[in-house]
Amino acid sequence: MERAIKKYWPVFVLPTLAAFCIGFLYPFCQGLYLSFCKFTTIKKASFVGFKNYIYALTDGAFWHSFGFTTAFTICSTLLINVLAFSIALALTSKIKGSNIFRTVFFMPNLIGGIVLGYIWQILLNCVLSLLEQPLLALDATLGFWGLIILLCWQQIGYMMIIYIAGLQSIPKDYLEAAKIDGATNLQILFRVKIPNVMPSITICTFLTITNGFKLFDQNLALTGGEPAHASEMMALNIYNTFYSRTGPQWKGYGQAKSVIFCLMVIMISLVQLKATKSREVQQ
Amino acid sequence: MKKKILSAVLSVAMVSALLVGCGSSATTETAAPAADSAATADGAEAAAPAATGEGQVYYLNFKPEADEAWQAIAKSYTDQTGVPVTVVTAASGTYEETLSAEIIKDEAPTLFQVNGPVGLANWTDYCYDLKGSSLYNELTSDSFALYDGDEVKGIAYVIESYGIITNVELLSQAGYTVDDIKSFDDLKKVAEDITARSSELGFAAFTSAGMDGSSDWRFKTHLANLPIYFEYQADGIDTTDTIKGSFLDNYKNVWDLYINNATCAPADLASKTGDDAENEFADGQAVFYQNGSWEYANLTGKGMTDDQLAMIPIYTGAGDEANQGLCTGTENYWCVNAEASEEDIQATIDFLTWMVTSEEGTKMLADTIGVIPFKNAQDTTNLFVLNDRDYTAAGKTPVSWNFTTMPSEEWKNGVGSALTAYAAGTGSWDDVVAAFVDGWASEYALK
Amino acid sequence: MKEKKSISKTLLTILFTALALFWVYPVVMILINSFKLDKFISTNTVFKLPGAESFAGFSNYVEALTSQGFARAFGYSLVITVTSVVLILICTSMCAWYITRVNNLLSKVCYGLFVFSMVVPFQMLMFTLSSTADRLNLDTPFNICVIYLGFGAGLAVFMFTGFMKSIPLEIEEAAMIDGCNPIQTFVLVILPILKPTFISVCILETMWLWNDYLLPYLVLDRKKYTTIPILIQYFKGSYGHVAMGPMMACIMMTVLPIIIIYICLQKYIIDGVLAGAVKG
Repeated sequence: MERAIKKYWPVFVLPTLAAFCIGFLYPFCQGLYLSFCKFTTIKKASFVGFKNYIYALTDGAFWHSFGFTTAFTICSTLLINVLAFSIALALTSKIKGSNIFRTVFFMPNLIGGIVLGYIWQILLNCVLSLLEQPLLALDATLGFWGLIILLCWQQIGYMMIIYIAGLQSIPKDYLEAAKIDGATNLQILFRVKIPNVMPSITICTFLTITNGFKLFDQNLALTGGEPAHASEMMALNIYNTFYSRTGPQWKGYGQAKSVIFCLMVIMISLVQLKATKSREVQQ
Repeated sequence: MKKKILSAVLSVAMVSALLVGCGSSATTETAAPAADSAATADGAEAAAPAATGEGQVYYLNFKPEADEAWQAIAKSYTDQTGVPVTVVTAASGTYEETLSAEIIKDEAPTLFQVNGPVGLANWTDYCYDLKGSSLYNELTSDSFALYDGDEVKGIAYVIESYGIITNVELLSQAGYTVDDIKSFDDLKKVAEDITARSSELGFAAFTSAGMDGSSDWRFKTHLANLPIYFEYQADGIDTTDTIKGSFLDNYKNVWDLYINNATCAPADLASKTGDDAENEFADGQAVFYQNGSWEYANLTGKGMTDDQLAMIPIYTGAGDEANQGLCTGTENYWCVNAEASEEDIQATIDFLTWMVTSEEGTKMLADTIGVIPFKNAQDTTNLFVLNDRDYTAAGKTPVSWNFTTMPSEEWKNGVGSALTAYAAGTGSWDDVVAAFVDGWASEYALK
Repeated sequence: MKEKKSISKTLLTILFTALALFWVYPVVMILINSFKLDKFISTNTVFKLPGAESFAGFSNYVEALTSQGFARAFGYSLVITVTSVVLILICTSMCAWYITRVNNLLSKVCYGLFVFSMVVPFQMLMFTLSSTADRLNLDTPFNICVIYLGFGAGLAVFMFTGFMKSIPLEIEEAAMIDGCNPIQTFVLVILPILKPTFISVCILETMWLWNDYLLPYLVLDRKKYTTIPILIQYFKGSYGHVAMGPMMACIMMTVLPIIIIYICLQKYIIDGVLAGAVKG
């Protein structure tokens, strides 16, 4: 059978592969090459070696955005997972209307980042002006927490769904056995429930880490990097280097930054792969 | 084997169908959406010139307030000549971003603008040499052209003025006339008096100095011009890569006056928009509103009359205030994309020449843009431009536009952020000074 | 003991009700404000309900639909989403079947590349991708789906292969023996089995495509086309005027269809998302 299918590769593989080359492979390789060039358009690129990388690595704003992004990723990962897990626990304990709650909490996930960003910008600025506090665009710390609130609101529902599925898949016998042995609720939580949902925890952790690290739309719409790039995350910093600055050198810098950014994301993914692999071995 | 060939043929057919589908839709689909854009009269007409190899015009417009007028005039030009003219207006604050994304495309703008020598430095490779062109020959003076060496890279198309737009009616209700304001001290006295009695009068001195992206250019660029102008005057220079900031105290004085006598609390300015300020002024909530001659059409459109309006100079307590006029100059230079095809370049120059020579074109420019430096310019009804003329006739010296020498957009944004933070109380004036002086030097160092 | 438990449950229910209200509030706030006149929407009045003076009726919606180009943006968003999702579903499921059933260099290389592409952030190729698309004239809503197929292939292929590995070979072999060629086998045998995965991939891709901002913003021909996220981004600071009322109306008209679809197809959406997350 394999041989029969093999002959049909142009039908099965070629359309996707062709589009993949146009939409990913070619731009990717070209981007890699251009990160060593000074260019305004692709036709007018001149090779400059590692100059772009040297600039990118010595750019204070880029490192600031790296720090901001890292702090943001850690905070959002912790908060989202803890909150989502707690909500999932409560909803699986058969409180009334848990289906409705589930529906409501999941809803923001379907709304796009730009729209969410504006909704929360309006809302948060309102609250801040009532409290006579500076607005979001003035204070990077507020911008930071604003983004955290936004991302929590958006993603808790998603993670909650995964945790609920994890919790529901724990065999009833385990829980009953623990109860018969006289375990307290807390003991059941830490000794039975959490170890058994470890796969879900790994999935959720990495989803939130990559989502936080790559965040762009929400950042653009909520704070736009204000004040003075202080709330700018890496993706937005790269975008601004590319398009908000004019002059022949900037695009090269931006491309070099994006390669560095890409390497970081790949590293995170490799760690994830390893974590998933070791988990499978344990099981 | 036969099967193999069959499948190969099949797949090639499929892929090519896919690609051809894309290709043909790219050409035929343009007809339908083009009808939506105001530029082309209808699909058929749009296709015709392209087929005969005539040029097209794609203008990336910088002035959002003139968007409607440009769309209308482009349509009218297309109706008359059959040459498709597309006008796209970049959202405010995103011109450079839009231009750098658009210029690399196949159908890049044939016509764009730079804001002066500093802007030109970034785009000079893309600027067609306009020397000897029919457009260049229409200029009233060589000084309105932007040179790079011997080549004419840009052509100024408008001369504008800005100052403090005053609601004369409200001012007289408060017991003053425009003649009472002849210096910064006068302005401060009047503004603070109005603020003190604002609950009784029912209006404030200044509109909100909004620092939203739609309005912050009024302060980080236009207002910031004054300290730069006075420093250049004092030092006898017209550009520099290290600014000293000798007149920043005056900048602070005006800014303090704006934010402390406004319709809203200083902390709220960060989110106030250009619209907010315009509405406040048109609604009679404030007497003073810093903006330029381009605002005239919007204000009269909202029901204000010439009797209610006047524009006065922005006094900062620096220089010879008795002889200070409005801030008058240009930051708008048309550039023709040198990378465009010959036909498109010619079509663009023809369109511009038509704009500055024909009855219809010059009328549109006079009404919505203001004074144009071309031989066939029509006289304007714009009150603020007339104000400027009166000041000059009275022997006052207009303040020139030196923000064209500002190092970059980045510098402006830095000053803007610092001003906003200062207004809200989250930053100090020293931060503004740092953004102004140190930012200037570091941005020039990047050139 | 039992009483204590029921009290704590009631408390929990109350807490969750409050939380749920907090969750829907932002959307409700936009809904309320979309009925206000422009000048009554500012930072200190957003919480107020519309009064007789500030009530705008449906004028913001009319404005958004007529002069702000909402209908057009909605149409383009719809075209892009539908064509791209259909193309992605058809092409990637076929590709995934080949990859799982054929064990050769081509399928290994493809699989490796697809998985790799899932990781790479868009910023890495935003510039080169937009210029490639421009050169190939793939910059209209009607053919941008090719770009999306290329850029979005990774996740879809990954999910399909994940599921196909669990389909027993015997069914396909039986079909082949009965004289089906691979295309017939795929359409008649595999597709029906794949239905749940189709729904999952369809939902995930739709969520991504409908809300995607940066890719269409950079790739589409700006002279002619906008999508909804681009339109909403344009409202901010565009033309020096922020028309808050129509912007709220636009947001509402963007969000409402999503919520309605979500409520109707809740089960599928949640299951689809779950399958995607667990596989990915």
